[in-house]
Amino acid sequence: MAKTYDYLFKLLLIGDSGVGKTSILFRFSEDAYNSTFISTIGIDFKIRNIELDGKKIKLQIWDTAGQERFRTITTAYYRGAMGIMLVYDVTNEKSFENLKNWIRNIEENASSDVERMILGNKCELTEKRQVYKERGEQLAVEYGIKFMETSAKSSINVEEAFYTLARDIKAKMEKKLKEASNPPKGGGHQLKSSEPQRKPPSWITRCSIL
Amino acid sequence: MFEPTEQGKDVFTHGGVVLRGANTREDDAQSTGTLNIVEYSYGKCIEWKPVEVSVVSENQDQDPEWSLVDSHTRRTRTSSEGPDSLGRARTVRIMLTDLKSFRVHHGGQQLILMQKDGTTYVAFFQLSNAENFVNSMKAFMKLKRSRVDKNFYHVMDEFNPVLENSFSHLDLFQENTSDYVWKFVRNLHNRPYETTLEAFSKLADIWLYKEPVKRPVEEAVADLLNRSLTIDVPHPPVSVSSGEEYEVIGDAGSSVVLPPRPPCPRGAPLSQEQWDRFKDPEGRVTNPKAVREIIFRGGICASLRFEVWKFLLNYYPWNSTTAERIELRKKKTDEYFMMKLQWRSMTPAQENRFSDYRDRKSLIEKDVNRTDRTRVYYAGDNNPHLAQLYDILMTYVMYNFDLGYVQGMSDLLSPILCLMDSEVDAFWCFVGFMNKVSTNFEMDQAGMKAQLCQLNALLSVTEPQLFNYLYKNDSGNMFFCFRWLLVLFKREFNSIDIMKLWEILWTDLPCKNFHLLVCAAILDTEKTMLMENRYGFTEILKHINDLSLHIELPWTLSKAEGIYHQLMAVESQLPDSVRVIIGLEPLNKTPASDLEDESACAGAHANGENSNGIRRDSDKSENVKFGNNEVSYERGLSVSYI
Repeated sequence: MAKTYDYLFKLLLIGDSGVGKTSILFRFSEDAYNSTFISTIGIDFKIRNIELDGKKIKLQIWDTAGQERFRTITTAYYRGAMGIMLVYDVTNEKSFENLKNWIRNIEENASSDVERMILGNKCELTEKRQVYKERGEQLAVEYGIKFMETSAKSSINVEEAFYTLARDIKAKMEKKLKEASNPPKGGGHQLKSSEPQRKPPSWITRCSIL
Repeated sequence: MFEPTEQGKDVFTHGGVVLRGANTREDDAQSTGTLNIVEYSYGKCIEWKPVEVSVVSENQDQDPEWSLVDSHTRRTRTSSEGPDSLGRARTVRIMLTDLKSFRVHHGGQQLILMQKDGTTYVAFFQLSNAENFVNSMKAFMKLKRSRVDKNFYHVMDEFNPVLENSFSHLDLFQENTSDYVWKFVRNLHNRPYETTLEAFSKLADIWLYKEPVKRPVEEAVADLLNRSLTIDVPHPPVSVSSGEEYEVIGDAGSSVVLPPRPPCPRGAPLSQEQWDRFKDPEGRVTNPKAVREIIFRGGICASLRFEVWKFLLNYYPWNSTTAERIELRKKKTDEYFMMKLQWRSMTPAQENRFSDYRDRKSLIEKDVNRTDRTRVYYAGDNNPHLAQLYDILMTYVMYNFDLGYVQGMSDLLSPILCLMDSEVDAFWCFVGFMNKVSTNFEMDQAGMKAQLCQLNALLSVTEPQLFNYLYKNDSGNMFFCFRWLLVLFKREFNSIDIMKLWEILWTDLPCKNFHLLVCAAILDTEKTMLMENRYGFTEILKHINDLSLHIELPWTLSKAEGIYHQLMAVESQLPDSVRVIIGLEPLNKTPASDLEDESACAGAHANGENSNGIRRDSDKSENVKFGNNEVSYERGLSVSYI
């Protein structure tokens, strides 16, 4: 039996109600679109395994309820997230304006070094568009975040978005690992490198005193 | 699921199996398929493939009396084209290395497959017995039958104990085991005696009470050693993070011992005949209590529901005459249309200056289009019932603007409208329903939090073992039951069962908050699976979410009623926090804070309970209901929580 994955990444989808978070997730995890989606109550996740540079990566993607009053519950699950997709609907100005609130929400509740990405969904609805692509790009530049327009319905950029986010997390993680470890002897447990300020640089050696 | 780039080799195939997972919808849950064990180069999988029977019509030459029935297996992934490629009946693939355990259910008719991440599937064997499949699985993996539940099998990981890890162990950005090791080493230096004792107490913890399973000592020790060698301590079952405290070893909550659960058979639904007998010549319902009792025991027969719900939801008073009801309905109709006119006559300019209204309106628009669209009543484009759903919810906004519209409300309205098939009647029944559950939807979510707390307090008495387990696995906040409570199980049962469950809950029998006893009953059914699988925070949520549409209602209701009788049998010993939940007067043995529901909760966790005789771990009382890993967000929440 082969090991099923090398890394596990926890990702979150957040954004206003009805922007298409569940549809994006369904497109990515099942490669399908269903016009009869139901609203998300509470929180749930789906899994998809991808391969990047020969590494098997298990993506655990959390889908949250969008309405503001449920945030006390949903933010409980932000813990440990490594990547966050901030989703707005290009046909809904308000959902774009609210991105700022969502970003603040992340800053308050998620790890400070979480990778973020902005997605403008429903880009296939050209006639109903209210938010031009340039504005999305501009906001992304402002926050120093990557940006893509997507369509869960027409399957545009959904794969690309998740792969991009996963690649950025992987790069960040590998960089951290490199910095953190004068390569430990034991091997296999480098994954568990901790946050810098708490990091005992060679705990495995110390551990052998036991 | 990894998408295989190669053709797998079927090593075993078993036909006539229906598979249900979280994505399965009510209407397509009947697809039959084959359950297979398939070998790929990277490992073996359990695969379920739907068998689609389609009629091929192109063959015009054929005898028109005969058409070719082509039974073929669908592709793994639907093409990305097409706006409505339904996510139904696709191949489901579970890597054997991802499989945590399974349980044979219903004398072999069902097989519950549980993955390490909590994902749960139920396979229904229509043609034969699940035992056959289990037997063939034995050839490919090492299984161990649970000691607690003989139908429960653990899949043993033969090669690498590290692989047994669940997700959260790979979380990169959290406090990790190295910290623990450090702490241990430091403590050993500073206070060797206590640290050693603590380590022993943890060992003892494993043997004596922490484990759901009574494990043989050597196995537990081996397990612990294994873990310390791999420096990869999984969250359950040892609480490694509470480094500073000693733990009380013993059976928590043991001072309230519940008697055996009495059997509570379900009854027949309220019939037309019975209903007619309860009405006097003028149409008054003479004995509402007796009516309620029948409904509690068996629900209402389908054809009568339409009438009786109006009483249960306080639209019609029980003691009204038929004539009075006709009059009332007229009045309520006028009132409805008056409120409807209020928003219908709003001009676009007015709307522009009324953002609260606009927000509510846009939420309703979004939700109406995604409420029960797979039900025939709401299916298809331009369905007139969607407009009614919309109108009722918009009018409710005018009826109760402060509450407005909150997600979940459309779920509560949908079955009512479907049954009443009348905008006015549905509206007033919905108002009655909302009066019962409106606190679920308040802005500060205080009502939801209070209920989650109450459920937790209830479990401390009804399921002390599970209560402890959840606490140790950061799930004492009961957030995984959020969906159950918010929409009163609407997402967990099919459209027939949910109507029955709701009418039973509306009787307010046998006590208030019976829905919390229903939660406790479901958790009682699931506890072995949660604990045997040693599921953590993430997996518990997933497992509970995946129960959707395969919870057995009658069995759950009997069990919930049984729990009620168990509690009543030891009524005088129950802590006030539990007494108030089931509608008993508090005994006031504890500080006055126990009187109110919400603070009762805090009391149950802080200090109130000891005087009522329930023993708690020392760290538990200080940390309220959050595990140690959750301290960071506990701070964020505590302001609104307590």
